Amino acid sequence: MHRFLGLLGLFKEYLVLTVLIVISLVLLSLNDNNQVRAIRSTAVGFVGFMQNALAIIPNVVELKKENEVLRQLNVNLSNEVSLLREARLENLRLREIAGLKEHSSFKLTAGNVIGKSLLLLRNTITLDIGERDGIKADMPVISETGLVGKVIATSEHYSIAQLMQNKDFRASAKIQRTRVDGIIAWGGGDVLRLKNVSKTEDVKAGDIVITSEYSSVFPREIKIGLVSKIEEKPGSLFKEVEVTPSVDFASLEQVFVVTSAPDPERTEIEKKVARTK
Amino acid sequence: MIGRYFTYALISLVLVVVQTKLMRLLTVEGITPDILTIWVVFLALREGQLPASVWGFCIGLLFDLATGNFIGLSALSKTICGFFAGYFYSETKMLQTLASYRFLMVVLFASVIQNTVYFIIYAQGSEIGFLRAIFQVGLATAFYTTTWTLLPMFAFTRRSMR
Repeated sequence: MHRFLGLLGLFKEYLVLTVLIVISLVLLSLNDNNQVRAIRSTAVGFVGFMQNALAIIPNVVELKKENEVLRQLNVNLSNEVSLLREARLENLRLREIAGLKEHSSFKLTAGNVIGKSLLLLRNTITLDIGERDGIKADMPVISETGLVGKVIATSEHYSIAQLMQNKDFRASAKIQRTRVDGIIAWGGGDVLRLKNVSKTEDVKAGDIVITSEYSSVFPREIKIGLVSKIEEKPGSLFKEVEVTPSVDFASLEQVFVVTSAPDPERTEIEKKVARTK
Repeated sequence: MIGRYFTYALISLVLVVVQTKLMRLLTVEGITPDILTIWVVFLALREGQLPASVWGFCIGLLFDLATGNFIGLSALSKTICGFFAGYFYSETKMLQTLASYRFLMVVLFASVIQNTVYFIIYAQGSEIGFLRAIFQVGLATAFYTTTWTLLPMFAFTRRSMR
C-alpha cells in the first residue's frame, strides 16, 4: 500500500492531468452542438471499424453460445417444418375429400377414423360420428378413392364400419368396361374377389370394378378397385377374378358415410317379396 | 499559501471578466489575444506543473461558464496548456524565466499546444478544416498572445533589475 502510494506520488502530475482531462471530456460530452455530434459520429464509426476489424478473431465463448442458440433454432425450425409438412399433407387430403363431397350426388357425412380393429377375419374401423349425426346401420362408407365398407353398429357419438376386408362383407359389383356383374367379397389378405363371373364373360386385368345398381345398400358406380388377376380353374363354371381395392385401408384417416337413404319404395317392395318367399 | 491561492483566484476572476468583456477591443482581423493563457503559463512557471494543470482547468471552466458556449473545451485546452508550461518550471530560476524571452517562448509553445487541442475539437463538424483552423487562427492567436506577453515580461525585467 505504502509502495502504491509512493508510486502515485511519483506520477501525481499525470494522474491529476488524466483526472482533469476526463472531467473536461465529460463536460464536453454534455454539450449538444455540431462539434459534439460530429465527435460522437466519428467515435461510433471508429468503434464500429474496430469491432469489424476484431471480428475476424474468433471468440470461443461467443461462438459456443451462438452455436447453442443456432442448434436450438435448428431444432425448432425442424419441428416447424415437420408440422408444416404434416399440415400440407392434411390439406391435400382434405381438399380431395372436399372435392369428393362437392361433386358427389349423395348426401355425405364426414368422419374421422379413430380406431381400427384389424382382426384376422373381421376388420372394422371406428368412426367419430354416430346416431346424433344421422348415422345408421347399413349405411355405405366411402373415401375419396372408393368404397370402404358399411356401417354395422352405431351409438350416439360413434359408429363401427365393416371394411371390405371382412369375411362377412358382400356387395353387388360389376366390371365398368363390359358391365359384367358379380359379387364382391374379401379374398383374404389385401385383395378382394369378384365372384359369380362366368368363364364366358369378358374380364381383363386392369378393368375397373364398381358397385352395381343391383345393390340395395350401396349406391351405384362407386369405385371398388382394379382387376389384378384372373384365373380359370378346371371343373369350375366361374372365373377367379382377383381385385385390388382402390382404398388403402392401412392409411385410412377420413371417410364419408352416405347418409342419403336408398329408394324407400324399392326397399319396401324387395322386403315384401322376400317375406312372401 | 492559502492567501496566495486566494489572490490567484481573485486575479483569475478579474482576468476572465477582462477576457470576455474587454479583450475584444484588441481584436485584429478576428484574432483576439488570450490573457488567460499568459496567466496560466505564469502560474505554471511560478507554482509548477500540478498546480498549473489545476489552475488551467479552473480558469478554463470559469471562462466556459462565463461565455456559455462549449462547456469544457477551454477547461480541457487550458489544463493541457498549464501541464506543458509546467515542464519549464524551475524554483530557482523562476524570475529569470519570467523576465526573459524564455517567458515568451513558453507562452508561444503552450499557446500553440492549447490552440491545437482547442481547434481539433472546435473544428469538428464545421466546414472549416481543423488544420486550417489551427494554422490560420490557432497560430495567429498564439503569436498575438505572445506579443502581449511582452508587457508582463518587461514588468518582470524591471523587477529583476531592482
